[in-house]
Amino acid sequence: MQVHVYNNNAKMDQNQHVQPAQEAYGENQYQSNPVTTPTVLPTQTSDSSLSSSYPRQHPNDPQLEAMYELRQERLQQQLNNFWAKQCQEIQEATDLRTHSLPLARIKKIMKSDEDVKLVSAEAPVVFAKACEMFIMELTLRAWANVEEDQRKIIKKHDIASSISRADVFDFLIDTVPRPLENILDQQGFVGLPTSTVPTPLNDACYHNPPPQALVPGNPYGSPRIAVGMPILDQNHPGLQIHHFLTPMEPTPTPTPNPQNPSPSSDC
Amino acid sequence: MADSDNDSGGAHNAGKGSEMSPREQDRFLPIANVSRIMKKALPANAKISKDAKETVQECVSEFISFITGEASDKCQREKRKTINGDDLLWAMTTLGFEDYVEPLKGYLQRFREMEGEKTVAARDKDAPPPTNATNSAYESPSYAAAPGGIMMHQGHVYGSAGFHQVAGGAIKGGPVYPGPGSNAGRPR
Repeated sequence: MQVHVYNNNAKMDQNQHVQPAQEAYGENQYQSNPVTTPTVLPTQTSDSSLSSSYPRQHPNDPQLEAMYELRQERLQQQLNNFWAKQCQEIQEATDLRTHSLPLARIKKIMKSDEDVKLVSAEAPVVFAKACEMFIMELTLRAWANVEEDQRKIIKKHDIASSISRADVFDFLIDTVPRPLENILDQQGFVGLPTSTVPTPLNDACYHNPPPQALVPGNPYGSPRIAVGMPILDQNHPGLQIHHFLTPMEPTPTPTPNPQNPSPSSDC
Repeated sequence: MADSDNDSGGAHNAGKGSEMSPREQDRFLPIANVSRIMKKALPANAKISKDAKETVQECVSEFISFITGEASDKCQREKRKTINGDDLLWAMTTLGFEDYVEPLKGYLQRFREMEGEKTVAARDKDAPPPTNATNSAYESPSYAAAPGGIMMHQGHVYGSAGFHQVAGGAIKGGPVYPGPGSNAGRPR
């Protein structure tokens, strides 16, 4: 049996977390960053908010709560190992001219925002490494999901599920549908099927360009988040491709997801 | 190097991403590169579905835009025109990606040291990307200021020990056009 906690409260915490950082003049935040303590604090905040939101969903089941916290602890340990390894790899790297991602493409994505005028040569280099770490972190988190279900194949909903569990990924709300959350809402947060998840209702409008992909039956659009960074709106049309490989018929009730309107970031 | 990576990635996308238009391909990093990196984080017996790879592709582009937007806002507040590595690190800290900053600071420092050692080689490598045709238009103003840019570039590089202070001073002094940027804008 698998239980997931979805973080409407966590998103609010995320907003509160980001805002003080900005108000405190990010440069101070940045300069204080070498200290190890600030590095640990956000993780604790994230865990704390997830833990605090969890009991509200299952206040009467201490066994499930214990299982959840054990998995969180294990994931956190894996992530800590990952970050330590990243620092080590960078120190030991001998060839910094080999980038795992094409710099020209990174630069083009950066410049898709019209406000971005000039980009120094080092910026795509920094992003090449940052994106590599981002991809590996997402993959690691998703794999924790797969292992719980005793599967071997990472699927889209594993990515979506791991994104919804961490505050820091709130900016991806518009990018990735959250099928598990929709299913949980409809089923009152009971256990989920482990193999496939039906197409979420709210994401049908994103599925226009690729005619060859499986098309869900509901053409109506989902409510879009009006609050947040303008850049998300600008890039949204370009990120219209969502592939739904499971054409199971979604529930006909077009209930809007109350968590969608939450602002994903403070700009 | 960047050229070959870009080309092979593009070719790969063209082969498999038939549902993606050529223009939309440019919005994502090549799926082959993304897939390779995902596998590095997984045990050997793990498999990745194509829709998971494509989802991560979209997430990465969103990540780049998210961080870049924050860094760009900061540059505008400070009346600067060029986004540099430190701006990106600041943005990541502000947006909750503190864990990334420590390894990236080491990475950026080593990159700058290497740039200092191979200034000419760096220029040669930065110039070729043909896909920067559009970017060239954006950067043509900085091309006119190329000499100044080069001077600033060298100043940055050889003052690597106190780089941050030098950069700070330069920033307060007015618009800064880095040499590599100018090189990138120079057509061949």
